[in-house]
Amino acid sequence: MRFIVAIILGYSITVNALAQDYYVYVTAESEDEVAVVKFDGEKAETIKRIPVGVWPAEIEGPHGITVDPNGKYWYLSLAHGNPFGTLYKFETETDKLVGKTTLGLFPATMQISTATGLLYCVNFNLHGDMVPSSVSVVDPESMTELKRITTGTMPHGSRISSDGLRHYSVAMMSGELFEINTLDLEVSRKLDLDLDDTSMDGMATVDHSKMDHNKMDHGAMKHSKVKPTWVIPHPVWDKVYVAGNGSNEILEIDLDKWKISNRFSGDKGPYNVEITPDGNKMVVTYKTAAKTGIWDLNTGKELARLDNNRRVSHGVAISSDSKYAFVSVEGVGGEPGSVDVIDLEKLKIVDTAELGKQAGGIYFWKMEGGN
Amino acid sequence: MKSLSIFIVVIVYSISAYPQGDKLVVDPSSLTLEVGEKAKVNVSVVDKKGANTNREVRIFSRDGRNVDVDDDNNVTALKPGNHSLLIISPPANNNDERLRLEYAVSIKFPEIARIALDKVPDKIYVGTTVRLDFKVYDRTGTLRTEEGVTLTSDDKSSVDQYYNLTALKAGTTTITARIGEITNTIKIAVKDNPVVSVGLESDMIEARTGDVFHFNANALDAKGKPIEDAPVTYTFSGGAYDISSSASGLIKQDGRFVAEEAGLYTVTASCGQVTTRMTINAVARDIERDVKLMGHGSVGDRHTSDFWIWEGADGRDYAVTGTWGADGTAYFWDVTNPANITKIDSIQVDARTVNDVKISEDGKLCVISREGASNRKNGIVILDVSDPRDVSVISTFTENLTGGVHNLFIYKNHVYALSNGERYYVINIENPLEPRIVGKFELDTPGHSIHDVWIEDGIAYSSNWQDGVQLVDVGNGIAGGSPENPVQFASYAYPSAAHHATFPYNSKDTGKSYVILGDEIFPYGFNLNGPNTAAGFLHFVDFTDLDNPEEIARFEVPGAGSHNYWVDGDLLYTAFYNGGIRVVDISGELMGDLGKQGREIGFIIPSDPEGYVPNAPFAWGAQLHKGTIFYSDWNSGLWAAKVVPEVMDDVQVETR
Repeated sequence: MRFIVAIILGYSITVNALAQDYYVYVTAESEDEVAVVKFDGEKAETIKRIPVGVWPAEIEGPHGITVDPNGKYWYLSLAHGNPFGTLYKFETETDKLVGKTTLGLFPATMQISTATGLLYCVNFNLHGDMVPSSVSVVDPESMTELKRITTGTMPHGSRISSDGLRHYSVAMMSGELFEINTLDLEVSRKLDLDLDDTSMDGMATVDHSKMDHNKMDHGAMKHSKVKPTWVIPHPVWDKVYVAGNGSNEILEIDLDKWKISNRFSGDKGPYNVEITPDGNKMVVTYKTAAKTGIWDLNTGKELARLDNNRRVSHGVAISSDSKYAFVSVEGVGGEPGSVDVIDLEKLKIVDTAELGKQAGGIYFWKMEGGN
Repeated sequence: MKSLSIFIVVIVYSISAYPQGDKLVVDPSSLTLEVGEKAKVNVSVVDKKGANTNREVRIFSRDGRNVDVDDDNNVTALKPGNHSLLIISPPANNNDERLRLEYAVSIKFPEIARIALDKVPDKIYVGTTVRLDFKVYDRTGTLRTEEGVTLTSDDKSSVDQYYNLTALKAGTTTITARIGEITNTIKIAVKDNPVVSVGLESDMIEARTGDVFHFNANALDAKGKPIEDAPVTYTFSGGAYDISSSASGLIKQDGRFVAEEAGLYTVTASCGQVTTRMTINAVARDIERDVKLMGHGSVGDRHTSDFWIWEGADGRDYAVTGTWGADGTAYFWDVTNPANITKIDSIQVDARTVNDVKISEDGKLCVISREGASNRKNGIVILDVSDPRDVSVISTFTENLTGGVHNLFIYKNHVYALSNGERYYVINIENPLEPRIVGKFELDTPGHSIHDVWIEDGIAYSSNWQDGVQLVDVGNGIAGGSPENPVQFASYAYPSAAHHATFPYNSKDTGKSYVILGDEIFPYGFNLNGPNTAAGFLHFVDFTDLDNPEEIARFEVPGAGSHNYWVDGDLLYTAFYNGGIRVVDISGELMGDLGKQGREIGFIIPSDPEGYVPNAPFAWGAQLHKGTIFYSDWNSGLWAAKVVPEVMDDVQVETR
């Protein structure tokens, strides 16, 4: 047995020494297309541009994207519809459309639970009315929406714990963090991120989905100062990290205590946050500052703050070997969108691939052995 | 190395493929229920020895409107049909696999309870035919769409397979409707037919194709007295003058007839066995004219969207054009001389698409829509265009419009701006520095959506896809509405649900109020960088009776699809994407297929080898201004053309 382990380790080292190809899917929201970006360790390039949408005279806004845990399918949310957005299912091998279903208003970020196999997608509803929106739960095999779980105003960031049993999203305008039980399909906990004193356990356990929103005065609904735009659970620790887009900080929430346990002061407009699969580093896009921050989660120090190649830094995807971060950058007006590839060890941008306008949702697809 | 790789793969495979043996056990194995019935489903996960593993299991309904399942796994049958539940057990540890099962639930259709025969006449005359209408209901009172209903009659009448009842003999006829064991029997009095003749007259005996004849038939008894309740049926036959064509037209059962082809037509009015005929002459409309290209303002580096032409304070004529999928630019043009369209200014806002552009009635303000703003706060931008050579931004307004504004309209110091294709807001711009929302209009139908809004005479005509056109009083007074309190008072929808644009047209010739509804359909996919083909047509709806709008005519261009259009006088100027610009005579009463009737006066197709997509016409919209047709094209910019008069402007006619 010891002999076999030694062989495996040796083989692993050999394989790691070989060049790898990395692939990510990226949306271009104002181009109605999805790009496949390949990075070979040195150069990044868009190897495929896939037109999406059905209304040629309208921009339908591909926004959120995810790949199922098996890598066989990728899923895309098209934000605009008549009026509801749509979830599309494509094969990764062929990029052929194989299914779709209607979701809520402006469906955005999503992820599939390894526990339930279900897909959870926030309905961002940025259309102005300050009303609570929802998280759609979809069976991706049959592409049927099983339930819409009411959460807060402008929910965004849809990420699931590594055991697949807890879903997290934040409500940008109402400043709340929601935890959904992925089996029960109900809000299990809610945290007001604008309250410094987060010991109001009674508030924290209110089930928003059971509120009668017709009787609420949404005109008086608060507008969050934190303006959370993203949440990511740590792969190992019982913590989640929230991008405070309005407060220019990243909030660390202790899931055991259900309280804010730390605040990391960042640059202007933190927007998306991802954590390396090994749990050591956190990568944050600073949307307003057009920068990306790399943090050491063990020390709580920001290791680097890199200028993105152009304005409006958006999403982050991290390679499964924790080596590289892929940052989508929207561009402004007629500028192309792009993906900056960051070497997380050397802490620098290695290369940039260009794609269609307003690069947004981004998801790591696969690593393949290099040639 | 290769052999080592295989060795490792074998080890890894042998671990992951080790059968766990857990499986879902469901009792009962499937479910058949009556509507409203409840049943408990017991589900567990057992190992390969059959022992309960106590793994978590959940049951989900795929559609809670059909079948519901609660937290205790009680299933409630709501709607008949074959449905399925989804059962999932997540892995309890890393060695487990997720278990998943589709569970069938069959909900029986309730038994048919009754057949209702509607609108049954009190009496019918021998030799006449009426169509019987029926509805089938089940025991829950739900209307069913069952096939297999049969109607039978006795010897006093006959019923064909399409439920047409023809009276044969005087007396009382018995009609029986049956489906399965359920029957309904009715009796109808059959009277001897007193009609011995049918009088027939027409308001014209000769007219052009496309002109509507009005026939009036009277069923008369032996004394020449009209029998008011005797049904009269109109049909026609005919022959075309062109031997390569066939006579064709449309006749309505109220006596209206229109010919498509020039020819002789015979209209027949029948009451039972009694008929009468009248022949009329339809001459060719013969209105074709050339449409001559006047000028072109080229935009070859991006797509062009909507446009507007107006007379400026200096008396010169100007245009604004939007751009699509680019960098948020709008262009301004001097079009005083249509043969020399000159770009005079541009303005760029934070957007990718400036889809719509409109000018205020006084020509001083321009409002443009934004989509694809980098901060996702789209909204509208108000521009000062009092000097179109020096356009400046007055204000930007995004409240409740962040999701993007696709179309808008300006009317009496208010902007009507679409929000997210769901509703429109009414925005007061009396002080353009501080726009403010004063009202909104939104339907409450499921999944409602909106594509455009157009205002005329205080009535907002919104184009609401499957909900059709909505007529809303925003100051006309017809329904007490105002900008602050828009009041819907009429609507019309058609089955294709493709309604995207609206233009009202009041016919001075006839006094009729038409509303022209346009489709937008792309059935063949779309190529952003190549030529495209659209589909869809214009629907003419007679709204003279607001409570009973009637879709009465259509205009279509085979192989192309409608987009935006304009009416001036009795002429329609319409863009048909790849079919270019069409000029259509809509004078007089309208009925049937206007294109086939020869009402198209002329056409022009914008094609530019230097276009963004070269030689790929895709006309967006048209507007008549001071006798010139201006039109924008998605691939090539702004164009101008004129309908060539019968006598050319530059022809000198000499008389002696």
